[in-house]
Formats: sequence, C-alpha cells, structure tokens
Amino acid sequence: MTVPEHRGAPVELPSSSHPALRELVAAFASRLERWGPDGQRGDEPGQVLAEMVSIRSADRVRAGRPGLVSVTADVPGMSVHTVLGLRAPGDEVQFLDDSDESPLGLLEDDDGLAVVFDATSDAELALRLLEAVGGPDDGFERVRRVTTTAERTSLSFDDRRVLTVFERTPPGGGAQPGLELLLGLDGAGFNHLLAPVAIWRRDGVDLGLVQEYEAGSTGGWTLALTSLRDLYASGGTPEAAGGDFAAEARRLGTMTARMHLGFDQAFGRKMGDITSWVGEVEAAVRLADPVLLEDETVSTLLEDLRTSNARCAAIRTHGDFHLGRVARNDVGWLVVDFTPGGTPVLTAGVVPAEGPVFRSPLADVADMLWSFHHVADVAATERDPSGMLGLGELAQAWEVRNRRAFLAGYLATPGIGGLVPPVRDVVRKLAAAFELERSASKLALRI
Amino acid sequence: MTEPTTAAGAVAGAGTGWGDVPSPAVSPTPIGEPLPPPEEDPRWFQRAVFYEVLIRGFYDENGDGTGDIPGLIAKLDYLQWLGVDCLWLLPFYPSPLRDGGYDISDYYSVHEDYGTVDDLKLLLKSAHDRGIRVIADLVINHTSDQHPWFIESRRDRTNPRADWYVWNDDDQRWPEARVVFVDVERSNWAWDADRGQYYWHRFYGHQPDLNYENPEVQEAMLDVVRFWLDLGLDGFRLDAVPFLYQRDGTAGENLPETHAFIRRLRSELDEHYPGRILLAEANGWPADVADYFGDGDECHLCFHFPLMPRLFMAVRREQRYPITEILSQTPEAPDGAQWAIFLRNHDELTLEMVSDEDRDYLFSEYAKDPRMKRHMGIGRRLAPLLDRDRRLTELLNSLVLSLPGSPVLYYGDEIQMGDNLYLGDRDSVRTPMQWTPDRNGGFSRADFAQLYLPPLMDPVYGFSAVNVEAQQRNPSSFLHWMKRMLEVRRQFSVFGTGSFEALPCANPSVLAFVRSAHGGDDGETNPVLCIHNLSRFSQPAELHLGRWADRQPVELLGRVPFPVVGTSPYPVTLAPYGFQWYELMESQQTLSGELLLSGDGILDGNR
Repeated sequence: MTVPEHRGAPVELPSSSHPALRELVAAFASRLERWGPDGQRGDEPGQVLAEMVSIRSADRVRAGRPGLVSVTADVPGMSVHTVLGLRAPGDEVQFLDDSDESPLGLLEDDDGLAVVFDATSDAELALRLLEAVGGPDDGFERVRRVTTTAERTSLSFDDRRVLTVFERTPPGGGAQPGLELLLGLDGAGFNHLLAPVAIWRRDGVDLGLVQEYEAGSTGGWTLALTSLRDLYASGGTPEAAGGDFAAEARRLGTMTARMHLGFDQAFGRKMGDITSWVGEVEAAVRLADPVLLEDETVSTLLEDLRTSNARCAAIRTHGDFHLGRVARNDVGWLVVDFTPGGTPVLTAGVVPAEGPVFRSPLADVADMLWSFHHVADVAATERDPSGMLGLGELAQAWEVRNRRAFLAGYLATPGIGGLVPPVRDVVRKLAAAFELERSASKLALRI
Repeated sequence: MTEPTTAAGAVAGAGTGWGDVPSPAVSPTPIGEPLPPPEEDPRWFQRAVFYEVLIRGFYDENGDGTGDIPGLIAKLDYLQWLGVDCLWLLPFYPSPLRDGGYDISDYYSVHEDYGTVDDLKLLLKSAHDRGIRVIADLVINHTSDQHPWFIESRRDRTNPRADWYVWNDDDQRWPEARVVFVDVERSNWAWDADRGQYYWHRFYGHQPDLNYENPEVQEAMLDVVRFWLDLGLDGFRLDAVPFLYQRDGTAGENLPETHAFIRRLRSELDEHYPGRILLAEANGWPADVADYFGDGDECHLCFHFPLMPRLFMAVRREQRYPITEILSQTPEAPDGAQWAIFLRNHDELTLEMVSDEDRDYLFSEYAKDPRMKRHMGIGRRLAPLLDRDRRLTELLNSLVLSLPGSPVLYYGDEIQMGDNLYLGDRDSVRTPMQWTPDRNGGFSRADFAQLYLPPLMDPVYGFSAVNVEAQQRNPSSFLHWMKRMLEVRRQFSVFGTGSFEALPCANPSVLAFVRSAHGGDDGETNPVLCIHNLSRFSQPAELHLGRWADRQPVELLGRVPFPVVGTSPYPVTLAPYGFQWYELMESQQTLSGELLLSGDGILDGNR
C-alpha cells in the first residue's frame, strides 16, 4: 500500500520565534537527557541551554488554542524533534499517565501568550496531533501512553491506532532507522506487523508514524520466559510442560521466513559473499575473545565455510532480530520493532553511507536462535542465582526443542529455499557462524 | 412394514402440549413454566442451553435393561430442576443398532426398546409443560441397509425404489471423496451381490446413502420431517448433512445442491412450522460451515466443531491463542441464526479440524493410552479428559456457557461421569446414566447382564461414587454448581443473543471478553464482562475497560460489587483456572441493600 504522508502544508513559524523556541527545545532536550545509555530513565534532567540549540525547522501544525508546533533542532550530541502543545493560560489539561506535567515554558504567537507543554503528555493535544498527521479520522476518544523511550513516544488511540512521535532524529535529518524496512515489508504484503497508516515527514525527515494497533499482545521474550519458568518449576521434559513453547517457536519460524521473503520482494537480492561474511565473523570474535579463533571447532567451522563454494542469496535483513523484537497477539506473531539494537553488528535498518547492506537471512535466524539460548540462561539465573539447582540440563533441553521447532517452521515455509544455501549442512554451519558472531558481539559490548 | 402416515394424515393432537400462555415471550421464561409455542418465540434457541440425551442410556422404566422414553419422562423433573432448556434426543427410530441408532430402518416409528410414538407424544407434552423444548436427531443422508426402502432398492434395477440409493457398476467413481471412518472402512463403495452393483456409503457399509438426485427421496424426507413436527417436536439435528450429494471431481461434501435442499427444508419449516429449528452437524472450518446458515434461509444452528478441541488445547498450553484465533476466523451468524458450542458429545472428541501437529499434541496430552483413540479423535468423556479436576471442569464449562453460541451439554457431564475404554467404538462415552449408588446405578431394575451396556463401577467414576442422588444432596457438588451456572446464565440474555468482543490482554493465559446487547448498550441490558484464567497458576491481568469507565462491575454469582472502572487499566487477579463474570452496571444503578465500594472506603448503599 502507499502510505500517505502528512496532509496539508505546514505553516513555517517566523525566525523571530526562534529565540523562544530555543528555550523550549532546551527544556525538552534536557528531559531527553534523563535517559541513560542503558535505556533507563533517570530522575535528573540534563543541562541543555538555549544557546546550545540550533533550530532546523519550526512549523505550526495546528493554529489556535490548543495549538501544535513541530520543531526539529540540533543540540550537542543529538538531533531532536518535539511537538509543542500550546494552551491558553488557565486551561485545564488532562495529562496522560506517567507524563511530566510541568510546562516547558511560554510562547507568544498570533493567538497570544501560550503555556507550552509536551504535546505527547496532553490527551486532547494528542488527539489533535493524530488528526493533523493525517491518519483517518475515526472519532477516537481515549488516549493512552504505550511506550516512551529515549528516542520516541508512542500513544494509542482507543487501542486501535498508535501514533509514534520520533523525538530523536538521525544526525542531520533523514529517515528513521527501521522505517524503510517496515514500509518495504508492508508494501510487499507482509502482514505480520502493525500496518502503517500514515507517515509524518518533513523535508525527508521522519517525524512520526501512525499505525494500526491492537493492545494486548505479549512480547516474545515474555512468552518464552513464561515457558521456561513453567519448565523449571515442574521439571520433566519441555514437551510435557504445560507452557510448551515449541508450537509458537515453529510459528515464529514461519513468520521469520515470510519476513525474509518480504524483504526479498521489497528490496531485491544479491549474490552473497560467504567469504566476506566469514571475515566479519572472525573480526567480531577477534574483538571479543581472540583466543576463541584458535579453538578447533571454531576454526574448522570458519574454514569449512570459506572453502565451501556455496552459493547463497543476500537480502536486506532485520539486523537485530530477537525475542524482544517480536510479539504474539491473538492472530499470530508480529515484528513490532525495527529499531537499531545495541550491538556493533549490522543494526536494524541502519543504512551505512555506502548503501544498504545485504546479508544472508540466516543472520536473522542466528540472532533468534541465540535469543533462545539467552532467555533460557536468564530464566535459569532468575530461578537459581547460585546455580545449585543445576537447571542447565533443562535449559538445554528447552533450547534444543525450540531451536528445532523454529528452524522447522522457517525451512518449511514455501519459497525460503531460494534464499538459503541448498545444502543443509551449509545452512547449519552458516547459521552457527552468525550465531558465533552475535555471541561475540554481545560479549564485546560487556567488555 | 406398514406404509408410513403422511403429513395429511397427521396424528390427532399435533401441535398440542403448549398450554395456554397467551402473551408473547419477550424475556426468558422462568424454569418450570409452560413455554409459549415456538412461533411466538422464534429466537428461543439462541438463549437455550441444550442437553444431549441418549434415550437408551438415560433411564429404564420398564426394567428390560435399556433406557426408554417413559424413563426419560420420569426424569423430566430432574432436567427441569437442573435448568436445561431443550433436549436433543439421539435417534430413537427403529434400527438394527449397529451404529447407535444412526442406522434407521423406519422413519415413522419409535424403536420398540424405547417405546411408542404415543410415548414420544407424551414426552413432548410433558417436557413442554415443564418449560423444556425437544429436538431430535434426523439422519437424512443414509438409512440402515435393513430399511424397507433399501431392501426394495437392492432387489433389482427396475423396482420403484431402484433409484432411491446411489448405485454404480464399479467402485471407482468419486475417488476424491474421503472415507470418514478411516479405521474401519476402506472404501465408500460396497458390493451388493443381489443387485450386482456397488452402492455408495459415506459412513459404515451397512448405511447406504440416499440418492437426493431423486425428487422422490427429497419428498420422502420432507414427509418424515412433517410427521414429527406435527407431533410437536421443536426441530431436528440434521446428521451428516454435508454429504447429501456427490459430483464428479469433488469431495462430495458441502455441494451447492445440498444447500438447495436445506433451503427447501427450511422453507417448509418457516411456512408451516415457524419457530421450529434445524441444527446442522457439519464438521468443517467455520468459514465453510457458515454456509449452512445460508442467508438466514438454511439452518438456525450450526455446530462449531473447530472451537471444541481448541478449548482443550488452550488449557493445556495455558494460552488463549487457540481460542481467540479460531473465533477471529469465525464468521458471525446471520441474524436469527447461531453457532452451537460444546465440550463433548456422543461421538469421539473429533480432531479432524486441527493441524497434524496439533492433533499429535492433543493425542499426547489427552489420549496417552492408544485405546482412547477413536477414528480421528479421542473417545473419552469430559471428566476423564480433565482427570476430574473440578476447577478445570468448571472453567471449561464456564467458557462454553459464556462464549458466543448456544451451549450443548452432554448427559452425565453435569455429574462428571466417566467412561469405559473397553467398550467398542464410541460406546465408551454412552454408558448408563448414574442416578443412585444402588444396583445398576439406579438406571434399571434389570439383571446386570441384561443392561444394554455395563454401568461404570470403578472406584473413581463408578456409580457408587458418582451419581445424581449424592450430588443433589451435597450443595457443594459439581451438579449444584452447574445448576447455579445455568440459573445465572438465564438471567442475562446477552449470553444468548449478545455480541462478543474479545478484550486485548497482555497476559496470554487470560481470556477476557464482553458480551453486550447488539447495537451497544441499550440502557436496559448491561454488558457482561467475562474473564477466564487458562492457567493452573494464579494470574494477574490488566484490562483496558476505558469504554466502560464509571461503570461498576458486579460479579454475577455472588452479586458482589467491585471497584468502579476508571480510565486506567483495570487490574484483576484470577485464581488457578479461575473465572469471573461481571455485570457492568451504570453508576446510578444501585443494588438495594448492597455495599458499594468507592475510593473512600466502604459505603452503605442506603445512605
């Protein structure tokens, strides 16, 4: 589908308003600086001063009171986008849960003096913003905050629409990482995602996204963790445990394959260079633990791949595909997050200067398989921090069962055979190499 | 065999048994009060709880070892007490009983073991006087090979009924048609030496299919229908209805011609017997089965077969997804029609409508003993399937009573009866009803050896341990719980005719939904919120009930008010396999004498 962009031409505010806007953006950016590198929000705001702010654009999105002004700016270390909500002094505001209710400051415009809030904290202003951004007017009434991160805020409307405001933009403007992937998949007919309804974009800078939404989905990590907790509590075999995850793992594999077929359709494919990928694996391992390269199993694996002469397609991939990027709702699995992850390996949707990277889809497969290992590990540590219960065997049994189910679902999907090496042994080894790369990258992050 | 009577010569007294109830029904009739004629309450089946009863297994009045119609009449007080609205009788027609009566040898009579046509008339009147309607199985696809029609048909190729069945010179035609009883039959064709031809049978070889291409066959079946409706029957379950026709290059199921005949049948009912119903037994995907509703001009009810195994799967996996997925694929029935939902019935727990992987899973969970497998399903009753877990049994029944559709209960499940795997075919789930701890479970005074099937006598499910008498005495019994649930369900029409809206919930073990009067709240009928915990562990959930902000949930069983709904997610805590039903009452609706809880503490509602 063609996703419509922001409707109507924004009205640019005069440059005479920029001094006041700089104060407001500074206050907003200071709040953003509460977010630490661990993704957690602290209590102490940052120290961004008005003179540090350089306004790139300032548009009136909605005139009058309450009004909306969208501002993009550069501050030291980041590029920001904020939607300012303008209210008449004395206006009663219905703040959303978990909102900062303090105003950002004051602004004088043609409609007089306004008290300025973060529009994403204000229920009524959020509704007006949704109308303005261009999503179909369906008479929404109830607004709820879904998530707030260091980069974006997502609001749900009657649990049928979600508006995500991108509050950090790529340096110098540009497309939001991951958005291209989402739009490409949607255009290819991949329906395991929250369908985009409208994009808010200005001069090539992505400011927001409206999607269809349904509350009540459960994250893949949570589902897997629940399954493991059940297994660790009851013992026995994974298939006998009530919360057996294998059927869902299989479905997840099928969805993953469909995602890759969608990438192939949307962005095309190239001939893969296994030797080059092996080199990247080696580089990652060398960074994390060079001694590992001398391990016979590892060296044999990499050498076998290097000399295999296997042909493999390369496509655009998710780049950071794990249980935290998927969710299960009442009709199936969804990919809910295309944002970059924290590993130095190719991150989701980040397009390097030299152009988009094409990789084997088995890289995403490996990421998910590693995620199964990781969640089993985390669950075991959660239940048995001292290690005295010896849950390793159960963890391994769970992991093996669900890896097999995932791979069975993936490889059985019609059409996926054209994207993976034809020889099953090469598939196994290539996935193992990518998983090694993922593991090394995670280790390097902790070092 | 005498020629059957026709509708024109209907037995005197047809249509009687209704009593004098002049006012039209606008709300559910209280238990025990005579029902209005069905034409005055044509949507009765949408509110009804059905009770499937095996006549020969219910109660033996004459002491010959087989249950009978007088025995069923004798137990109508019990059924009235229990609170069911409509009986579904398994076939009571004359039959060699090689397939539990689904092999009919005379459509116009009653099997001598069960009684007479007059007995049936009395049953209908007695049931109606107690506020209970009655429908019966009608096998329209095939007859017994002992039916006079077939006996005549097979004689030669020129007799008047030569073309009443489906004959062919070879057994190669219609190879696409699957064999239904795969573990017993190898082909849909059987050779008849007398006629020198093969005859078509989609079920057992002794059940030849009628030939609906022949207008005489169609007319004959319509005549059968008129006969029983004239006696006062409230409708039919159309057994094996998808198989009526065959066409080259097709699977011989769900063909357009079949629907055409059902429309004709329905038209007959609408014109001459308004308010009587047709219930389709069509085992298929909801989108396909929905065709049997037509445009509201075919069947009134259709069984929702795929939902049933998914209920069992959901509680094993402790996730609601199997249920919500199939419901999301279920088309809404046309106005005036309804899905029929159930947990168990007289057949095996069929697993035809699940994937191979899911079938294997369900077999491994519920049929660990190979003797439990029957055809493509599991031959076990509800209680043994659930290891007689009281909480789990309550949960599953609460689902069937609150999900959209008319619930169909199976006799004996209200006392958690067990099964006998050592009996053949599906007899495992058709053992005698257990009334008392006395001889033969109180089912019959006959010698044990005379009984049509032995009653259960094991220490867990045997009649000494599980029987109606003991459970009626014990107010904490499952039987009393079921009675109470039916009472509560009857008080809220939204369970029968309301819309269904699944509520999103981040906890996959929790299934929450709202039943509302169609068209939204009408101010007089409050929505009912139903929350079910599919897990054996306690579960929390937060429900987005903002649309019902300021309403106060009042739990249905205890009428206890709960905190008023706000705009924030509404937290609930559910016990293992727990469920809660709430009426979402307007804030100005107060309950006389009830305590109302507010944020300030407990207030006396009378202040």
